[in-house]
Amino acid sequence: MIKYLMRRLVSIVPVALGVATLTFAIIHLVPGDPVVAMLGDSAAPADIEGMRHQLGLDRPLLTQYATYLGGLAIGDLGESTSYRKPVAQIVSERFPATIELAAAGMFVALLIAFPLGIVAGSNPGGAADMGAMGFAILGISIPHIYLGPLLMILFSLDLRWLPLTGRGGFAHLVLPAMTLGTALAAIIARMLRHSLIVVRASDYMRTAIGKGLSPRAAIVRHGLKNAMTSVITIIGLQMGSLLSGTLITEMIFSWPGLGRLLIGAIGARDYPLVEGCVLTFAMTYVVVNLATDVVYALVDPRVRIS
Amino acid sequence: MVSARIAHAARVVVSIAASAVLVASAGCDRAGHPPGTIQVDFEISPLSTDPRIGTDAASSRLNELIFDSLMKIDRNGEFVGDLAERVERPTPTEIIFHLRREVRFSDGRELTARDVKYTYESIENPELRSPKRASLKELKAIEAPDDFTVVMTTANPYAPALEMATEGIVPDGTPPPLKSASAGPPGSGPFMMLSFTRDETAKLERNPLHKFEPNSPAAILIKIVPDATVRALELAEGVCDFSGNNLEADVLPWLRAHPFLKISATPGTTYKYLSFNFRDARLRDVRVRRAIAYAIDRATIVKSMLRDSARVATGLLAPENWAYDGDVTAYPYDPERSRQLLDEAGYPAGADGMRRLQIDFKTTPEGARLAEVFQAMLQRVGIALNVRTVEFATYYGEIQSGNFEMTSLQWIGINDPNQYYMVFNSTQTPPGMNREYYSNPALDRLVEAGMRTIDVDERKKIYAQVQRLAADDLPYVSLWWSDNVAVMNRRLANFEPYPNGSLRSLATLTLQGPGGAEPSR
Repeated sequence: MIKYLMRRLVSIVPVALGVATLTFAIIHLVPGDPVVAMLGDSAAPADIEGMRHQLGLDRPLLTQYATYLGGLAIGDLGESTSYRKPVAQIVSERFPATIELAAAGMFVALLIAFPLGIVAGSNPGGAADMGAMGFAILGISIPHIYLGPLLMILFSLDLRWLPLTGRGGFAHLVLPAMTLGTALAAIIARMLRHSLIVVRASDYMRTAIGKGLSPRAAIVRHGLKNAMTSVITIIGLQMGSLLSGTLITEMIFSWPGLGRLLIGAIGARDYPLVEGCVLTFAMTYVVVNLATDVVYALVDPRVRIS
Repeated sequence: MVSARIAHAARVVVSIAASAVLVASAGCDRAGHPPGTIQVDFEISPLSTDPRIGTDAASSRLNELIFDSLMKIDRNGEFVGDLAERVERPTPTEIIFHLRREVRFSDGRELTARDVKYTYESIENPELRSPKRASLKELKAIEAPDDFTVVMTTANPYAPALEMATEGIVPDGTPPPLKSASAGPPGSGPFMMLSFTRDETAKLERNPLHKFEPNSPAAILIKIVPDATVRALELAEGVCDFSGNNLEADVLPWLRAHPFLKISATPGTTYKYLSFNFRDARLRDVRVRRAIAYAIDRATIVKSMLRDSARVATGLLAPENWAYDGDVTAYPYDPERSRQLLDEAGYPAGADGMRRLQIDFKTTPEGARLAEVFQAMLQRVGIALNVRTVEFATYYGEIQSGNFEMTSLQWIGINDPNQYYMVFNSTQTPPGMNREYYSNPALDRLVEAGMRTIDVDERKKIYAQVQRLAADDLPYVSLWWSDNVAVMNRRLANFEPYPNGSLRSLATLTLQGPGGAEPSR
């Protein structure tokens, strides 16, 4: 197990290198000039050249790339051109807000998905299944940018239960988490339903019911646990969409996280900050998927990771 | 059996959700602001709390509440003294500012000419990396012969020199922003910054050393709300007290229906225009540009799409500007005249009514709706407009590098007619503001004369000719001047709008009813 974990951790290095290289290439390829974004278009050409030199943007792209990788190797993500601060400092200030939102979104997703998935999977084809899956389709179909303001109008403007925007206490977290978690809930619910239907047809479930367990008890004690591996897989895989969902959700709810930071950095062509944000998102995804693999073994003793 | 199970599951879900909402709402304070605090929503975060650095509109709006400058622009668009109580211009290259006495920074230090000199010299210091350095390129020297006199010298006679006198003044010795606190340096303006968290909030409190009207706001919470719909919702909920020039025209009727909100719509100076790439031979033909001008029904766009929140423009300068001259060629909607001009230019219509004239129109996602309107209007005269939508930084980069045929942009905060020099003079091509590579020797001579002529009456005559020539030759098709539209809670009284959208009057408005703060000395 430890050997496996070590091997997976080492495999993060080429992934990080790949992400760093791709991000570097893409952000340098798209049109737009960080120096003009900083100095404005009335700046004198000499000032623009001076600034370009100061930031090292006048050096060959390969040299810039080597410098970037060199910094990365010692944990230096460079200095943001728009914030004029070290990227690592800015990212570390904003990352907790995104993790808080993503975790809350996942919690909401599970809170909705499990009852829906169980109800639907226990009675496939029934009215409950139809209702639950109808809700799931609706959840997948509504974009964050539409759902967010709808929830705001209902819970904040009409019912006056929750604050509209910003990051504060628990109350501020509810609406963005619902916005972020609804689509994911729908996906997980559908997967859970499917897994339960498969599990229900298995021999051990028939045996359990034959031994006198009620169908509900058989699902709770045996079915759910066996259906969990595929659900955990989908949770790990959906981490990417959860993290990308934070970009829109953070914009709608004025949530001061990494997603908003990234959008601003792209607009300002703040190369170091874009690279730092994307790398952080990518590493989070990798680590979550590693954690997912470990959780398999804990949930299902038949799985041996080696 | 099934329905019982559903009912049970539903009860569980509803009770969990209800508990969550109840727990959440228990800690929820509606606006949560202390008495006398007003919330102002910005759409974008200020980039810097140091007035030597921030050139973006949000930083300017924030910093003018905190820092005084030698001169400021008043509600009539005229330069008036701020820190300067008297201004002399003894020679065409020299301006002397006599400072007010007893002005103090919010930390108690007295503001003197040394602070002014330091502020300007630090902006000019390349190490500060200030974007404002470019705007001071005509400044040859700044001296402080005594504590209350500042002398600015320019290399040549420079008519818009007073524009250089609008920089916010920081205390002598203020370090670069990286080494200073995030709240920024102290200023001598009406408010002082308590805290600033980029992309979240800026908390401002009254400068105790500043005079205020009774019941003026004790504090201002500037909140960054990027989404326009959410800004409208915050106003409707009563969380936000003021939102200026950052709401969609479509939501204004809905906001107007809220009895506790009021809308202030006043003529503004923000100028929207169509521009052409003059390196494209087809667009260098003035007949094509005029045909496009006649084909765009600006009055209808202003009425229906902008809901009358703009005025059809004749040129860069709005009627409120001292140099405005509206006696120029106008281009009312006339598709027939447009078609004639296109025929004359050698683009006859084919059997389908379309011509051999396909123009790429670059825009941002926000501009796509307007682009489609232009597309439909130009199609009526047989021009195919291909709308290319790209995100803003890419768009701006492409405009900068001349990789466009036609586009639409706007200029915000035009005060001095020298703007004509900056955008149309043939020496001002990128990285300057003449992104269209327009060149007209007659206009070059006029705008250069306008920049070097100090006498106001003479300048006015020069710019009358400039406006006529620009309207004839059409480097830009003037679209409209946008109104300044502010939506605010009715508890805010005496708000005075500025044509350039400045929020200076947040310091002079008063609060009605509960929530008004006690007046200071």
